Amino acid sequence: MPSRTKTVLIWIVTFFIMLIICMPGLWIILSAFRTNGEILTKPAIWIPQNLTLDNFRAIFGFGENVVGIPVASYFRNSLVISITSTALALLIGMTGGYAFARYSFPGKKPAFLWLMLSRTVPGIALSLPIFIIWSRLGIIDTKFGVILVFTAINVPFTVWLTEGFFRQVPNDLNEAAQIDGCTRWQAFWKIEFPLAKSGIASAGIFAFLTSWNEYALASQLTRSTDSKTLPVGLMDFTAQFTIDWAGMCAMAVIIIIPALILTFLVQKHLIAGLTFGGVKG
Amino acid sequence: MTRLRRTIRENAVPFALISPAVLIILMVVLLPLIFSFYTSFSNYRLIRPDSLWDWVGLRNYKRIMGDWDFWVAFGRTVLFLTVALNLELLFGLGLALLVNKITWGQRTMRTIMMFPMMFSPILVGFQFKYLFNDTIGLVNNGLQSLGLTHEAIPFLVDRWLAFFSIAFAEIWMSTSIFAILILAGLFALPKDPIEAARVDGCSNWQVFKHITLPFLMPFIYIAMAIRSLDVARAFDIVDVMTGGGPAGRTELLWTLISRTAYDDARMGRANAMSYVAILLSIFFTWFFFNKLMEARKHLGAF
Amino acid sequence: MATVTLKDVVKRYGAVEVVHGINLDIAHNEFVVLVGPSGCGKSTTLRMIAGLEEISDGDILIGDQVVNQLPPRKRNISMVFQNYALYPHMTVSENLGFSLKIASRSKEEIEAAVQDAADILGLDELLERTPAELSGGQRQRVAMGRAIVRHPDVFLFDEPLSNLDAKLRTQMRVEIKKLHAKVKTTIVYVTHDQVEAMTLADRIVIMKDGHIVQIGTPLEVFERPVDTFVAGFIGSPPMNLIDGTIKNDTVVFSDGRSVPVPPDFSGKVVDGRRVVFGFRADVLMPKGHTLAESGVLHDLDLTIDLAEPLGSESILLSSFGGKDIQARMHNPRPVKGGEVLSCELHLEKCHLFDAETGQSLRG
Ligand SMILES: Nc1ncnc2c1ncn2[C@@H]1O[C@H](COP(=O)(O)OP(=O)(O)OP(=O)(O)O)[C@@H](O)[C@H]1O
Ligand SMILES: [Mg+2]
Repeated sequence: MPSRTKTVLIWIVTFFIMLIICMPGLWIILSAFRTNGEILTKPAIWIPQNLTLDNFRAIFGFGENVVGIPVASYFRNSLVISITSTALALLIGMTGGYAFARYSFPGKKPAFLWLMLSRTVPGIALSLPIFIIWSRLGIIDTKFGVILVFTAINVPFTVWLTEGFFRQVPNDLNEAAQIDGCTRWQAFWKIEFPLAKSGIASAGIFAFLTSWNEYALASQLTRSTDSKTLPVGLMDFTAQFTIDWAGMCAMAVIIIIPALILTFLVQKHLIAGLTFGGVKG
Repeated sequence: MTRLRRTIRENAVPFALISPAVLIILMVVLLPLIFSFYTSFSNYRLIRPDSLWDWVGLRNYKRIMGDWDFWVAFGRTVLFLTVALNLELLFGLGLALLVNKITWGQRTMRTIMMFPMMFSPILVGFQFKYLFNDTIGLVNNGLQSLGLTHEAIPFLVDRWLAFFSIAFAEIWMSTSIFAILILAGLFALPKDPIEAARVDGCSNWQVFKHITLPFLMPFIYIAMAIRSLDVARAFDIVDVMTGGGPAGRTELLWTLISRTAYDDARMGRANAMSYVAILLSIFFTWFFFNKLMEARKHLGAF
Repeated sequence: MATVTLKDVVKRYGAVEVVHGINLDIAHNEFVVLVGPSGCGKSTTLRMIAGLEEISDGDILIGDQVVNQLPPRKRNISMVFQNYALYPHMTVSENLGFSLKIASRSKEEIEAAVQDAADILGLDELLERTPAELSGGQRQRVAMGRAIVRHPDVFLFDEPLSNLDAKLRTQMRVEIKKLHAKVKTTIVYVTHDQVEAMTLADRIVIMKDGHIVQIGTPLEVFERPVDTFVAGFIGSPPMNLIDGTIKNDTVVFSDGRSVPVPPDFSGKVVDGRRVVFGFRADVLMPKGHTLAESGVLHDLDLTIDLAEPLGSESILLSSFGGKDIQARMHNPRPVKGGEVLSCELHLEKCHLFDAETGQSLRG
């Protein structure tokens, strides 16, 4: 095949694939700015006649046709739960990851393996006993209860990622710092932490996204406006008599946006973390 | 006893450092799992709390062994995972090779590739529920506007079409994990062996098969291992797209558990099913983890 | 006074003992080199002195203070690592000043000390660069600079030159020697390269399998190795070692040839004793190509297998006493394989070792 044709072919295929990846998201975003009436019209209207912000106003409770779904509260819950559980997971995961990277101790390998395996338990399977126990403890349907669970499901992966990043920082540096007069603690904060910082940040972003996106557990552990997260709230729409597609799309956009922003931020470090952590055993 | 104490004293620092991680996992994962293991031997129903003490031995397990619906869901889940994982790998490999070829705009494309990974599964489900909707979906509207069909295609209703739609959503979401990790592998690919192989007279295909692919295997297995950690994310997709219906036609193990537990309130039986699902997950992870370890050894040869 | 004293120091990893109770006294301002094959415990010993590795038994003293329990930062030592261990996120001057910053010295003081070190090591132009922007030799110099800024009591070096190419290694070796002359500090230096050990050390400590085999000045260990291990390890090419048996004040080899018992050993061995006869290539030379030396000479005829010309001399490969041996030819002329040369052996520079234990029979 002449190389010209080949190049063109590659571009066509690439374009097609990118279309499949981007199209669904773009279509949702577009729909979020259209009226429900226009979406429901048959035959389909392809070129939007009027774009509005009404859907967003509606789900946040402004404007004339208010949706009976407290999206603002859900958004707040999601933020509080995701940020807190991320901070906790990062703290716990980082200390654990550091120990696995820097120390050898009896039971290290199995401990690591079991930590990872704990992540394989399907959310729905875990939700049943947690639902019962949390009810007994009185923390069902509270932010605290969800934060606890999200922290736990984020810890294994955070340990894995940070372990990889700390392992890339040569142990020599920490020793050199100790000889230069640092305590172990100072050596960590002045040398090892700054060098692993970007990796730790991406582990944090990953944990945030997991919490932000989680549904299987959150849908069982939250019931009220005070604790429901956005993904759970999205399903509120389906419970209504007629599906408010435009409203749902608007809410979907609210959920997507933080994820998209964070994607830009992490992409480089995340790949590095995943591959170095995994391949260079 | 004294030995244990000495071990603890000698490793006080690392033990202290990993203890928060271990503790929270014990509390939020292991303890509940032990509890649910117990309830899987009881006749526990949510509405009757005292039934927790109603020990029924293996009855739940016996029941699900003889439960046709359960085995259909189980089979469908395994089929679903096999199809999805294999296609994801295939598409991911293709996509990575393609993006690796492109020089102009590669960074942008890499970023775009990561989007689906960041999507909430529940959003992915909603997105395709919307797209595949039989009256207002983009796909049906598109096909009708182009005059390719006149009837709405029941993507989410027909048994096989629904399976296809759900698999499509799942593959859309997870192919990028493979693509990105394999791409990282391609970037790390050493040039020397490839050049040596070319000098030895290998064709492009032979180079790919004997040099590139073996080198990529660890990366593929990492992707598999990471993926298998959360295969159950598919629950979210199915729950929002079809809810396992209509009439159980798209029921996967996880949706069946959810329905048995929360709609039928049969916690005991649901927990018994959970254990089957957990074993399935662990099997997948363990399998790929082992493969990863094996492949790592081969990587040493490069 | 920064002496370093090791008393019966033992290191165990779990149940495995890797350093078996070593004793060592290092004087103030002395340059001591620990040398030995890979895995013999040199780094472990050095790291125990540094405080990076706990000691399982025994005592380590710096000056007259027992430092067993002191963390590295309280021992007033500095260390140069094999991979330099420069902080990648700091510039050269930040790297140099880091230890003083941790000790919360004033800015002026830090600057002056950094400038000082930079002057000594010629780092002036590099101060604002990061380690990634330096060549191997420059990194090496920065690592040394970082070590001297603090005016420590003891310098520790762990194979600091092993990542450099041969030429740079020679050059840096000279610089380290000069540095020691300038800063006059006690130095403990680890290497597995015996040339480095010979050229740098005031005293050499030869280690094997977690034991100290011999301690002595370079000349001592070269001329009077305590056993076959040291004999084979120190000096290049390694000492020729041939198995033989004592008979009537001669050493008889397996091929029937023999040499007289060297004068230092006469009377110390009895007939029938199995020994190892050792001599360096330098003491076996073809007639007419020797260095003008007198002494107890023994004549030998050697069939030369191969000559390796090195310019001012040639190394001759031959076999003698059932072993491949090497001899040295000064002011060389071309030698063909198979040629028979008449050589002389300086007997008073030869050694006898016990065949079983390998110990020198010098007594
Ligand atoms: N953390 C450890 N656990 C168990 N054994 C160890 C550990 N560190 C070192 N060893 C063992 O201790 C012995 C001495 O190691 P050391 O690093 O001191 O050798 P070395 O003389 O510096 O060798 P090299 O020249 O290769 O650097 C080796 O046999 C090594 O296998
Ligand atoms: Mg060493």
